[in-house]
Amino acid sequence: MSELTVELAGVRFGYGAAPILDGVDLTLGAGEFSVLAGANGSGKSTLLKLLVGLLRPNAGTVRVLGGSPTDPDIRRHVGYAPQGLRMATSLPVSVTEVVAAGLAPSKGMLRRLDRKDWTRVTEAIEAVGLGDLSAECLFELSGGQQQRAILARALVGHPRLLLLDEPTTGIDQRLRPALVRELRHRADDGATVIAVSHDPDEFHEVCERILVLVDGRLQRITHEEFHHQFHEHGAPG
Amino acid sequence: MSRLFIDFAIQAYLAGAAVGIAAPLIGCFLVQRRLSLIGDATGHLAFAGVAIGVAVGVAPIWGALLTALVGAVALEWLRAKGRLAGDVSLALIFYLGLALGLVVLSAHGGLTASSTGVLFGSIFTITWLDVWTIALLCALVVGAVALFYKELVAVALDEETARASGLPVDSLNVLLVVLTALLVAAGMRVVGLLLVAALLVIPVAAGARLAHSFRSAMLWAIAAGLTSTLAGLVVALLQGTIAPGGTIVLAAATVFAVAAVVGRRAARRHPRSSAA
Repeated sequence: MSELTVELAGVRFGYGAAPILDGVDLTLGAGEFSVLAGANGSGKSTLLKLLVGLLRPNAGTVRVLGGSPTDPDIRRHVGYAPQGLRMATSLPVSVTEVVAAGLAPSKGMLRRLDRKDWTRVTEAIEAVGLGDLSAECLFELSGGQQQRAILARALVGHPRLLLLDEPTTGIDQRLRPALVRELRHRADDGATVIAVSHDPDEFHEVCERILVLVDGRLQRITHEEFHHQFHEHGAPG
Repeated sequence: MSRLFIDFAIQAYLAGAAVGIAAPLIGCFLVQRRLSLIGDATGHLAFAGVAIGVAVGVAPIWGALLTALVGAVALEWLRAKGRLAGDVSLALIFYLGLALGLVVLSAHGGLTASSTGVLFGSIFTITWLDVWTIALLCALVVGAVALFYKELVAVALDEETARASGLPVDSLNVLLVVLTALLVAAGMRVVGLLLVAALLVIPVAAGARLAHSFRSAMLWAIAAGLTSTLAGLVVALLQGTIAPGGTIVLAAATVFAVAAVVGRRAARRHPRSSAA
């Protein structure tokens, strides 16, 4: 088995008395591509936040890239794209600035971005199809374009673990296959990819398995099993 | 016209220019993060520091600086712990700072016309030592922003993602409020503790109307801050009796109004695409 990049053991988490996640176990290796599915409120986003250390489990252990998800040295190798825009719109912000912000942690304090870094920013923007809009203000773009910019910010540092919360939501259907292929390239290069989605079919061509959250537990199933369980007996979303 | 070039006017231009540049610079990060009121609260707390300084025989600017620093860090700690939610908490801090300053000053016979200068500025009575102190404080603000620009921008854009990606968000937040405290102390003699927050916010609001990126908004904001302070000083010098702190802030409001009109017209002439 390849190097383990995600290790969850007996993870329990709840905001109140009732747990959202109740004994989640998972191991993923380098280069694995997984889709995380489940009904609304099943804990998909919560699970991603546990993996990036924004939440801590009530019980059990979470390890990523061989260490704690709150370790800054570990976090620099994790790319995280939350769902939707999470920034104040008081001041204008260009697409380039948003994507360049993704390099700040890996570059290190007090070091300015150099020409090589700006090339990486340009490549990440082009990879999500926003090359013509790189100088535009993010808040003047459509929701789908904003989502692509957020995705580019997660990709720009070439992280070893990519955690993406509904990365294709709001994005034009015609553009989705190219984005999904880009994520597959990242996995082929050794990154572990977990993408939350309500529509695992989008990833059918590129991902090995589907992780489904049901009643606080994680099931690891194939696309065929997903179809059999949820499309024939009601989708989880 | 000759009064525009006499010694105290030159001193005022230099001190005003330093604050006019540094205030919008730090203000961009505060406004983007919806922390503008931290500047106001720090200014009010600094008034208590001035009073304590008078009571113990320390120059007002050092009393203001110390209290602003301690107060700003305490405010950030409360905010980070989620104990400073809502305007009521901040209003309590505003009035506590003012009331404490008033009580301490009056108890020590310091409630004179000079305390008005602390609250609303007294830039025409500053000395060269004051000018250098203000310039030093503003240089620290500018230097720190230049050094930590990419980290401060990353946190200003999205604090949660910045934290998830390994940036020391808590330390950067403390740095931001410390720089705000330095700026408040520097701005005390220029526009006063009650008006200094205006220079943190109004030029930034003007810059936001004219730009399409954070960096260009910051540059426009600095231009607006510099223009406002110098224009406000010239008006006060020419008129002769009105308070420069007030004219500076009114000039900033005028610059904002112009920027709003220009920005709206530019948006009509060059509508941006928002395709899917």
